[in-house]
Amino acid sequence: MRKYWQIAKGRMQENTAYSAWYWAGTVSSVMRLLIIYFFWEAVYANQTTIQNINLETMLTYIVIALLLQGFVGGVGNELAENIKEGQVAIELMRPYDMIFKMFAVDIGEKIMYLIQGTLPMVLIAYFFMDLSFPKSPETILLFIVSALVGIWIGTFFDFLVGVLAFWTVNVWGVRVLKESLITFFSGALVPITLFPDWLRTITEFLPFQAMVYLPVSIYSGLISGTEVYMALGVQLFWLISLYLLVRVIWSQAIKQITIFGG
Amino acid sequence: MSVVFLCLKIECMFLGSDIVITVENLKKEYKLVKRDPGLKGAIKSLFNRKYETKHAVKGINFTIEQGETVGYIGANGAGKSTTIKMLTGILTPTSGKVTVNGLVPYENRQKNAVNIGAVFGQRTQLFWDIPVRESYNLLKHIYEIPEQEYQETVEMFTEVLTLEPLLGIPVRQLSLGQKMRCELAAAFLHRPKVVYLDEPTIGLDIAVKVKIRKFIKEMNQRWGTTVLLTTHDMQDIEEICDRIIIIDGGTILYDGGLEQIKKQFGQQRVIHFELADKEKFELPASLIGQAEVLPNEEETKVSLSFDHETVKSSFVISEMMSMYEIGDLNIADPKIETIVEELYNKQEQGGEHEKVLANS
Repeated sequence: MRKYWQIAKGRMQENTAYSAWYWAGTVSSVMRLLIIYFFWEAVYANQTTIQNINLETMLTYIVIALLLQGFVGGVGNELAENIKEGQVAIELMRPYDMIFKMFAVDIGEKIMYLIQGTLPMVLIAYFFMDLSFPKSPETILLFIVSALVGIWIGTFFDFLVGVLAFWTVNVWGVRVLKESLITFFSGALVPITLFPDWLRTITEFLPFQAMVYLPVSIYSGLISGTEVYMALGVQLFWLISLYLLVRVIWSQAIKQITIFGG
Repeated sequence: MSVVFLCLKIECMFLGSDIVITVENLKKEYKLVKRDPGLKGAIKSLFNRKYETKHAVKGINFTIEQGETVGYIGANGAGKSTTIKMLTGILTPTSGKVTVNGLVPYENRQKNAVNIGAVFGQRTQLFWDIPVRESYNLLKHIYEIPEQEYQETVEMFTEVLTLEPLLGIPVRQLSLGQKMRCELAAAFLHRPKVVYLDEPTIGLDIAVKVKIRKFIKEMNQRWGTTVLLTTHDMQDIEEICDRIIIIDGGTILYDGGLEQIKKQFGQQRVIHFELADKEKFELPASLIGQAEVLPNEEETKVSLSFDHETVKSSFVISEMMSMYEIGDLNIADPKIETIVEELYNKQEQGGEHEKVLANS
């Protein structure tokens, strides 16, 4: 365990190596928040509700979704680069489990992002935006659990796409597809309740909604009561299946491994 | 078959010979996508993939004992790196058997990793953006090195490789020579039993090369570290290794002592004479049939080639000196380099030579 925590710490150190880049990340996060905030204010300029969702609930949903979206990515890209450039050879020679190592790196990244991106956005949202809070502490707790599970689902999925590099060498196309699928189907762009029925049905069978839509819906009260536990159940299902899939595909990848450009 | 194997096993037990690496009939094949040239070919390959099989390593055998320093040499694409990757567990062999410290590397990758260290000349295992010292610290945790042992090791390495001024600098700001010294220290940091060095001196200047060779030898003597070294620099081999394995086209051409191969192939000597008047030169009668005049472009120089077994250098020199005024002379020592070249050439003339496109 200790070595993985050290790896996470090492990554945090690496991330502070370029300070200009670090602060640029903060600025772009805040900009994104402001843009999306004013966009939805403009949408609501001539109406009070869209499909029974009022401005306050919508903004709450969108802002929380934006905060969460920053975490559903992962280190899949880095894994793919490692594979492409043959650096994975060095990784495979080390006495650690490569999957856990990548997750440790991911945690390091996310802790840094929490400070660099999320915290400034939360401060601005808290002081300058009209957002609502969940009514009960229980809801907050459920949201936190659901958000953590959602983040891990996103991480596993990202890892899965990264491992594809073993077979395709160039995963750029797959990644672009992945990004757009997640942005759209996770409900990070608009709440899934706004989708037409047929699209909603499809979405319910995909893992993406479990990343952002379900936790944010718990927070903003779009779902409540027993539905919340149903949502958590769905999330757990995806969490476990994706992890198992990661393990299986990774061990397949290891078997077939050929190091490129060594 | 099994009786023989059993006997061997018993023999090993009684003689106490510590075999660290065993390679038996090891083979590796790569499947490569075959493409027709041009854009048309590229598009065609999207729909209809044709594969061709490359035999990078074609059934090799060797064993290495604890504390040996082995030079593993061969031309580019001979199968060196492929073999090393199989020994480290990065590649799974197509067939055959490998054990390192009694473990099958590709099956017990993590366990094997604790016992091995490696330097790949073209890759870094240090962390690019953080100071070298932090990289070592991270490696300490990864390899679970006890604190005291770690401190001692780092102190010693710092002295032998003069790392002190480098420890606080991020790897990306180091020069190649500085980086390589740091890499080497990283490979030996956890005191592994076996270290694989894949072209550790590539692109370095003489001063750094000397330092690196000295370090490798010292580690070998101090900890009995087994070293498997691939290089194109024959000076590395001559100074570090007491045994060489030559591989070409995926098969082993030679496996044995360095001195032996020098004796076996290195009997051809060449002496360059500087003559006052080259125009008048004729081969002395006593040397006809014994020595051969090599073409020499330079106006004042004559080169004689002869077999050291039949004629002694001193005889050739004295004969020449008695007949001509010699300004200067220069005896070319048999370099392992020329021997290897000779071996390659022989193999190529053999006709069955087949260039293999392995990753090297």
